[in-house]
Amino acid sequence: MSPRQVSDGRPMVPGPAPVKLLAVDDDQHNLVALQAILEPLNQELMLAENGTEALRLCLDHDFAAILLDVRMPVMDGFETAEMIRSRKRSRRTPILFLTAYRSDEQLFRGYDLGAVDFLFKPIVPEVLQSKVKVFVELRRSEELLQRQTEDLKRTERRFRDVLEAAPDAMLITSEDGRIELANSRVDMLFQYARETLIGQNIRTLIPEWECLTAGRVREPAAQVEIRQMGVRRDGTSFPAGITRSPFRASDAVLVTTAIRDITSQVDAEARIQRTNVELERRVAERTAALSSSNEALRQFAWAASHDLQEPIRTVLAYTQWLSEAVNGRLGERESGMLAVIENHALRLNQLLGALRQYIHVSESGQQEWAPVDCNEVVAGTVATLQTLIQETGATVEWSVLPIVPSIEILLMQVFQNLISNGIKYRSHERAPAIRISSATTKAGWMFSVMDNGIGIDSQYLEYIFGVFRRLHAVEHSGTGIGLSICKAAVERLGGCIWVESTPGSGSVFNFTLPRDPHRESRTQ
Amino acid sequence: MTGEVNANRPMGGKPVRILVAEDNNADVWLIEEALKRQSLAFQLDHYLTAATAIDAVKTCGAGGSPVPDLLLLDYNLPGGQGLEILAAAAANPNLTDVPKAILSSFLRPDEFQDAIRMGASCFIPKPASLTEFLRDVGTKVVDLLYPAGASKGSSAKRAG
Repeated sequence: MSPRQVSDGRPMVPGPAPVKLLAVDDDQHNLVALQAILEPLNQELMLAENGTEALRLCLDHDFAAILLDVRMPVMDGFETAEMIRSRKRSRRTPILFLTAYRSDEQLFRGYDLGAVDFLFKPIVPEVLQSKVKVFVELRRSEELLQRQTEDLKRTERRFRDVLEAAPDAMLITSEDGRIELANSRVDMLFQYARETLIGQNIRTLIPEWECLTAGRVREPAAQVEIRQMGVRRDGTSFPAGITRSPFRASDAVLVTTAIRDITSQVDAEARIQRTNVELERRVAERTAALSSSNEALRQFAWAASHDLQEPIRTVLAYTQWLSEAVNGRLGERESGMLAVIENHALRLNQLLGALRQYIHVSESGQQEWAPVDCNEVVAGTVATLQTLIQETGATVEWSVLPIVPSIEILLMQVFQNLISNGIKYRSHERAPAIRISSATTKAGWMFSVMDNGIGIDSQYLEYIFGVFRRLHAVEHSGTGIGLSICKAAVERLGGCIWVESTPGSGSVFNFTLPRDPHRESRTQ
Repeated sequence: MTGEVNANRPMGGKPVRILVAEDNNADVWLIEEALKRQSLAFQLDHYLTAATAIDAVKTCGAGGSPVPDLLLLDYNLPGGQGLEILAAAAANPNLTDVPKAILSSFLRPDEFQDAIRMGASCFIPKPASLTEFLRDVGTKVVDLLYPAGASKGSSAKRAG
């Protein structure tokens, strides 16, 4: 066996199935002799004593070679060969004639009938062996070739099946876009008969198609669907999702291009896009409407508080002037009436002042952000409230508080309102005690202002933060705006405020301040 | 507090002339009362609207018309703001040295800044309490007419 055969991997070893040989001779002895000579080849030798038998065997078997005696009674070798050749199955079977006569006439006739060789009697065993061996190998090669062809056909069939079963239109092209294969979905998608596409350039279908590789084969993970326009035979186009997968075939790089009609997807996206734009527009409109109505309300409130201020200030001043002017000339009853007018004018004046303060606190812009030391703010507030604290015997204590990024005036409003509320709404049974503490949280700080006052019924815990919301009679002298101011101020500082309370034993007002107030306030 | 003596204040002499732009007559009476309690001899030229006040301010000192010693301008006036009277006053060179006070029960910080920018000398709040009103307006007016540290020459000149 030569090295070339080994490298080709031809299955000569071990033991391939023996090939069939046929020996035809009317002389039993000759047959036995042929049998003996061919034995070492280890092939399956069949024997026939006449042409008829040989023809019968040829019907059932494919022989690698037929050794045919020329001189036989009834039907000689040439006649037999003619018959063998006339049959489809054995048309190409190599025939070696065995003859004792070297006559040119015989040779011509034999070759004419398709003989491949002549062997002259007496037979030289080595010569016969080597000649037959050639036919055995020839047959083996044929068989191998046939098997490989079948394998190839099967593989190709499977490949085509896979291509056909693919959910997308699939095209296999060379790197420059020449179409080598297409599945039936290509016909459906592009309205071309598939056969007419083979050999055309894929750019007929996808004008913008580009080879992904430029000579190199990418990793499959790098293949992504891109969007290009597909063009049908009638010239209409559609949005196509295209995935290209180059692969290295034996002699060249081929590119599989999968094509999907994504019209509905693109339409859906466009619809979503339109909906989004519409939504954004509506939100913007709504926001603009809200903020302009907010601004209008704010201006109204400001103007109202201002315009109401003037008459009530005048009423108050003139009531006082009148009572000064008539000093001592009025009876107790009339003096009492004047006092009622004065008190209510005073109260209305207070309310308007508080309302202005609330509007001022809720306004955006203007005030400066700076680091604020809460200890100083609380100390300042306590100093401001000194009279109230002394009158009520209150104590105000605070732990070490942080320095926070804030607007000082707003923070002052918060502490002042919470501390004065804690004192105002005190229990009759004990001196008011206010404790202020702080804790660090993930986003910033939480402050707690705890009192030992009358507490708040749980159903009012949110109610009390509204404007002009009061739970108590004038005896507590609140304006009903203090907590609204706290809420507006804390929210402007980017935090939130809430209260926990046990009626009868006290309340804790908690509020948070963020470490990064600008980001927090933007998200509100 | 009423009757507190200002050291620079000359005794006797001609009454001071004060231009008042104020739409609330009640406030004008209160201002008069405050000045009386300062024992100040004064004459008020009172204008109820911004328009009439602006006309008056434009012509002060022209053609022998008198130049006031002080302008008291309410910030909120019908038909225009006190700021517009300030602008008209600033355009009249005869009023350059005359103090101009803005009155209001309340001014926002930005409103106050605007007033100062437009040439206001100061802001006089109108307190709600009678006592405070009479005291604050009275003393502020006297301080403006007879500023501490001003030379006798200048006050004498204004008095003359």
